[in-house]
Amino acid sequence: MNNDLIIQGLTKKFVTGTLPALSNINLTITEGQLTTLLGPSGCGKTTTLNCIAGLEQPDEGVIRIGDFYMTDTGRKLILPPEQRQIGMVFQSYALWPHMKVFDNVAFSLKLQKVSGSEIKKRVIDALELVDLGDLSGRYPFQLSGGQQQRVALARAVVTRPRLLLLDEPLSNLDAKIRETSRVWLRELQQRVGITTVYVTHDQSEAFAMSDKIAVMSKGNLLQYSPPEELYEHPATQFVAEFIGATSFLKGIVTSVEGNKVSVRLSNGDEMKISDHSERHWQMNNEVVVAIRSERVEVASDDKQGGNILHAGILSSTFLGSKWQHVVDTGSGSLKVETVDTVSEKRLSLFLPPDSILLFPAE
Amino acid sequence: MTAAKPELKPGPISRLKFSWDRIVQWSLVLITVLLVVFPSWPIVYQSFLDSPLYEKARNFTLNNYTHILGDMHFWRILGYTLAFAFVTTVVAAIIGIILAVLINRTNIPMRGAYVNLVSIPYYVSPLVLAFAYMEMYGPQGFGTILVRMLGLPTWQLYTFGGIVVVAAMYYIPYTFLYASSSLALSDPQLESAARIGGATPFQTILYITIPLLRPAITYSVLLTLVSSLELLSIPLVLGNSVGIDTLSTYLYTLGVVGVSKDYGAIAVVSIFVIVMVTFLVYLQGRLTNLEKRFVTVGGKATRPKLLDLGPAKMLVSVFVGLYVILGIILPLACIMLESFVSFLSPFMNPLKVLTLNNYRDIFLTPAYRQSVVNSINISIFAAGIGILFMALVALTAYRSTFKGRNLVKYLALYPRAFPGIIIGIGFLWAFLLVPGIGSLRNTIVVMSIAFTMRYLPLGFSAISPAVLQISDELDRAARVAGATWLGTIRHIMLPILRPALLSGYILLAISFLKEYATALFLFSEGSRVMGTTMLELWRQGGAEPVAALSTIQMLITAVLILVSGRLLGVKLHE
Ligand SMILES: Nc1ncnc2c1ncn2[C@@H]1O[C@H](COP(=O)(O)OP(=O)(O)OP(=O)(O)O)[C@@H](O)[C@H]1O
Ligand SMILES: [Mg+2]
Repeated sequence: MNNDLIIQGLTKKFVTGTLPALSNINLTITEGQLTTLLGPSGCGKTTTLNCIAGLEQPDEGVIRIGDFYMTDTGRKLILPPEQRQIGMVFQSYALWPHMKVFDNVAFSLKLQKVSGSEIKKRVIDALELVDLGDLSGRYPFQLSGGQQQRVALARAVVTRPRLLLLDEPLSNLDAKIRETSRVWLRELQQRVGITTVYVTHDQSEAFAMSDKIAVMSKGNLLQYSPPEELYEHPATQFVAEFIGATSFLKGIVTSVEGNKVSVRLSNGDEMKISDHSERHWQMNNEVVVAIRSERVEVASDDKQGGNILHAGILSSTFLGSKWQHVVDTGSGSLKVETVDTVSEKRLSLFLPPDSILLFPAE
Repeated sequence: MTAAKPELKPGPISRLKFSWDRIVQWSLVLITVLLVVFPSWPIVYQSFLDSPLYEKARNFTLNNYTHILGDMHFWRILGYTLAFAFVTTVVAAIIGIILAVLINRTNIPMRGAYVNLVSIPYYVSPLVLAFAYMEMYGPQGFGTILVRMLGLPTWQLYTFGGIVVVAAMYYIPYTFLYASSSLALSDPQLESAARIGGATPFQTILYITIPLLRPAITYSVLLTLVSSLELLSIPLVLGNSVGIDTLSTYLYTLGVVGVSKDYGAIAVVSIFVIVMVTFLVYLQGRLTNLEKRFVTVGGKATRPKLLDLGPAKMLVSVFVGLYVILGIILPLACIMLESFVSFLSPFMNPLKVLTLNNYRDIFLTPAYRQSVVNSINISIFAAGIGILFMALVALTAYRSTFKGRNLVKYLALYPRAFPGIIIGIGFLWAFLLVPGIGSLRNTIVVMSIAFTMRYLPLGFSAISPAVLQISDELDRAARVAGATWLGTIRHIMLPILRPALLSGYILLAISFLKEYATALFLFSEGSRVMGTTMLELWRQGGAEPVAALSTIQMLITAVLILVSGRLLGVKLHE
């Protein structure tokens, strides 16, 4: 049987008369996969997660796992959280301070009236799964942040839930542990094979962990794609901006041949772009050219197979492993990276066709 | 970019399991509504009737209103009450703030001991305080006579000034405690910044420390004002013999002592007081909100340096010591001593007239003994059930998806607008009106319910901050883990709230033990409490048994505070 998580038409307004916190979100999350909700602060990620958990009541929408309907506003069905059989890890971990690690993990099993010996076995299994077998007798305040996060995870999976929800579980860890934790978390998720919804506003975390990423903004779902596709073909300028260091130049379409589009920038430079989107461009369309700084090369004028722009350096910053320069192309500023310092005041920039994306001007 | 709304295909309905959550929430809200409405409506009803509300022949009329509002006597009493409340509040606030700053922020000797000593009147019934002052500083008081014997000039306690002083003594701890905990919470870096900016320690206190206390001062000033407007005991005990009346003593005389009880007048005066206090309570809420900008969230890494008063510190400490000894310790010691002698007078060596007869009288007279037992039962059991109820109400208000939860907050705080004596009147009349429940009046059940209503705001506001401090992710995690709302409360919230529940319980137990005003109209044969018995004995002129009862009450309070503090680590104030 198909046990995908299906979200249809999810809409939620907190205050009547204002913009909705969620408007018409549709998502299908394949069984066993990890989907990340990615977006800037306040875009509605937590609200979506809480609606799935039953902690928040949506105004409209259906949320189901296969045939197990958890929310169906059309029929006034909103299961309370305790009847949904899901696991959840909160941003603050939410370990109950008055219970030892063992009791925190055992809590759900006790409520389910599982026998004592079975509880013991399953709690120990769960703690071993997160490599914390020997800490079961401690209180939460006696654990480090990383350990707390793993206890929270053990507590979430000990009941073998149908669905795992994680709300920025790594955001309280410092940068070093965060990176090892995300590899570990992803491995564990794949090993257990549990359908997972993961919330973050860190795009590198989203790319590293997800089967699919849902980019949200102001309560809307902008794009729902696997990481590579999201990177190669962002659906809108907002998505392109959010997922990578990208510079934008304004221009006007001067010719269209199939997917080959020519754009004239404001200082008169022409750029040739092979556009992979489904959009149909026409002469004189006002457009935005998005350029990925990491794909731009500093080269000589005679390099073939791409566009050449000339630009003056405005500022240079040493980032440790590389230099980042802000340059003025005459049609707007661009960010460019080089490995070594640059002595020239002006640069010739080589922009390969795949470094350029085209969006309609907003 | 929003897609068209998809077709929602109907699927099999998941079964919604039965849960008690909603039923319990509804019951809690219903009980709260009843607690507030039950004693209010008979008063409103009676105010429009031309005869007592239990009589068959009763007609609607507006005469009660025109009668009272056209009565010069009423307006004179109102003026006197307002003047009394206002002056008391100002005196109590000024002394309270000075004491708080001196004791918490300067290096006067003995400051550690003063913290506790100054707070004592907070835990003593104003009735007991009034008796204690009467015995010590009244016209025939031990202290008064002693001073007169020395040939020094004495004072008149039974005057406006005398009553204000005693009432202020009772209310000083309010300002003192609120200001002290605000001082403890305020960020010491704010004071350090002023010092670095060039302010002397004294200027720092004047321009930074005290202005930062404004929210605490506003709050406690309005609390004192509201409370002193309805204060019955001190004006009654000290003003009765010289004909001084406030609204509360007026109500008391009209309803308890008076021969022909004018029900209509009682109702109208009650409504007048409720409206007046409601306005003040509303003002308190508004002002406290406005003052939020003053709240400082402090890292408390460094304790502030105490202001060095130099050579003056000894003198200041002596002044505070005199205040404590003359104002608090001597009157209370006097009433305790009196309870152990047959007659207290500076002309006699007290050791020669030592006796336990006063206590024997209390314990051998069934009615008196019962009032002690009742008070203890109410303060142990009713306060226990009460604090649990109030905690559940707070959890419904702040931690549920119940639709009317915002209303619950206001409802739970509203009884602040009801003076105790009026709550008693309301409950009494409700019992007269509803047939078949009259016999309950003879039990402490009614008393417990009325006390619970009176102190609902106290318990609710003792628990609420603790509830709000618990991250809501903790209860959400429990819900997701499979616990119902009730299960979450039982397994997560109540255990975490344990310290707040315990100190709330002790606070409520002490309040129930002290309470007399609510009981005055309401009590009958089987449901007397210590406060009502004390007033009864006082009217019969039995000073020594009153002293014995007062001593018993203070002793129980002291035991409650000490035991809970030592064994359970309860802190009643930060
Ligand atoms: N209880 C509430 N009442 C009113 N508005 C709310 C409430 N909870 C959330 N919102 C609003 O809904 C919007 C979405 O909030 P949400 O918490 O889902 O954002 P988020 O994407 O999780 O942000 P973050 O990354 O900061 O956690 C925000 O504008 C927020 O202000
Ligand atoms: Mg969030």
